[in-house]
Amino acid sequence: MIDILQWTTLAVCGLVALARIPSALRGENRSLFSIFALMTLAILLSIEAPYVWIDAALGGINLTNLALRFIIFGAVFFIGVRTTRGFGADGAYRLLTGRVGMAALLVISVAVVGVFLLMDTTGSSAGLSAVSDRDARHAMLAEYYGAAGRAYPAFVALVLLPAMVRAALGRLPVPVRFAAALLGLGAIATALSLLFPFLPPNSDAVAFVVNYTAILCFVLGLALIWAAKVWTRRKSCRRRKYTEK
Amino acid sequence: MPLPAKAFQRWLQGIAPNASTADVCRVSGIKRTTLAQQLVRGKVSESTLVSISRAYNIGPVAALADFEAYRELAGPPRLPTRGELVSQISTPDLLRAVLSRTAVEPEGAAAGLPPALSPAPHATSVKNWVDAIDDGEVRHRVSAATGIAPQNYSAQLTANRLTPELALATSQAAGVGPAGGLVATGLVTEEEAGWPPGARQAALEGMSDADLTVLAGERLQALGKVLRRQEQDHEQAEKIWENLG
Repeated sequence: MIDILQWTTLAVCGLVALARIPSALRGENRSLFSIFALMTLAILLSIEAPYVWIDAALGGINLTNLALRFIIFGAVFFIGVRTTRGFGADGAYRLLTGRVGMAALLVISVAVVGVFLLMDTTGSSAGLSAVSDRDARHAMLAEYYGAAGRAYPAFVALVLLPAMVRAALGRLPVPVRFAAALLGLGAIATALSLLFPFLPPNSDAVAFVVNYTAILCFVLGLALIWAAKVWTRRKSCRRRKYTEK
Repeated sequence: MPLPAKAFQRWLQGIAPNASTADVCRVSGIKRTTLAQQLVRGKVSESTLVSISRAYNIGPVAALADFEAYRELAGPPRLPTRGELVSQISTPDLLRAVLSRTAVEPEGAAAGLPPALSPAPHATSVKNWVDAIDDGEVRHRVSAATGIAPQNYSAQLTANRLTPELALATSQAAGVGPAGGLVATGLVTEEEAGWPPGARQAALEGMSDADLTVLAGERLQALGKVLRRQEQDHEQAEKIWENLG
């Protein structure tokens, strides 16, 4: 069941990224393409088989996991920037790109790298499960590492959430409001991931579902806004033709 | 509240005893599927009844009065108030009338008579009608009498819509002639409602320069608000397309 969820998410995200290539080549909103591309890469790296394969190429010390953290940070940062600007949430935009946001990114990045270096990370395994099984100290460090990795996305999600709620309840076109609701749901799921350490043991499935819900909501929400734009443009083109006649 | 199908069938029997449903649709220009669907659901819309009664040369107001919910419409038509008449003059027509007053525009009379008034309803006729008969408590009384939530009622007025049932309830609550709301919503024409020909023109001419100018100003202000909102919505949507499309 989790396998299906992972591969479906990968397929959806990969397809959207592919679909964005033409417009990226035309130079329209390249950062949106990079969001989808980064997210596709992130999903790929969170699946066991490709992870082990790529990590072996990088020396088998789980450097891939560290890279994955920063890929996620990058994707989340671009989502935050584009969404807050698009929805006119100037305060949220300043919070993300201003001193507070940059400080958060810096502190969390340092923490992620620091904890990573404290661990003996030999032996590729997605999610560092083999590393955390090593001994009690490693189990604790892996927990901190995971928490630090989830902290930045959760920060961005919480900054985004009010703007999304406002947009979903506002007077925008219906598809855009629906997209804002999806993005809001994704933000809630991302923020909920902060609570993973408090889950009872053996509830990995819950964590998986929450993570992939977040990713799917973000991808579908962004894709929906894009679709709504194409649709609106087409409609207004048609209208113009009618008046020309 | 649409008309019950049974009562409608009885009424139809009365005016066109041997006509099939297909005949009725052909004569009245209603789509056959539309009528069939309304009959199956057991609810026939008022506009269907109006179309059919026009096709058979029966006054639509009298036809409606045959139904329990619209008993109020029976009897000789009550004359509209001057406010109601003026409310059914479109804003462009009002502005032209202002410009033809010499007190406003000394050259106005020289420019000749303004063109004939365009027929009711106009783009804001529903809201203008309710404003014209509102003593400040009408909305309140309508929502108490019909159970509609005040915000839903306002939403209908803003969208220049009002169900026939609410139109009737509104005129009752304001103590004016029962057919006025049906004119403002465009269900029936002024003539069908028993408004004397030229009554709107006469009401307009009876207005003092000051009253007319103030009213036109109010209309312009309301129009400006609507346009401002549309522009803001448009700008917001554009910003979203620009950043996320």
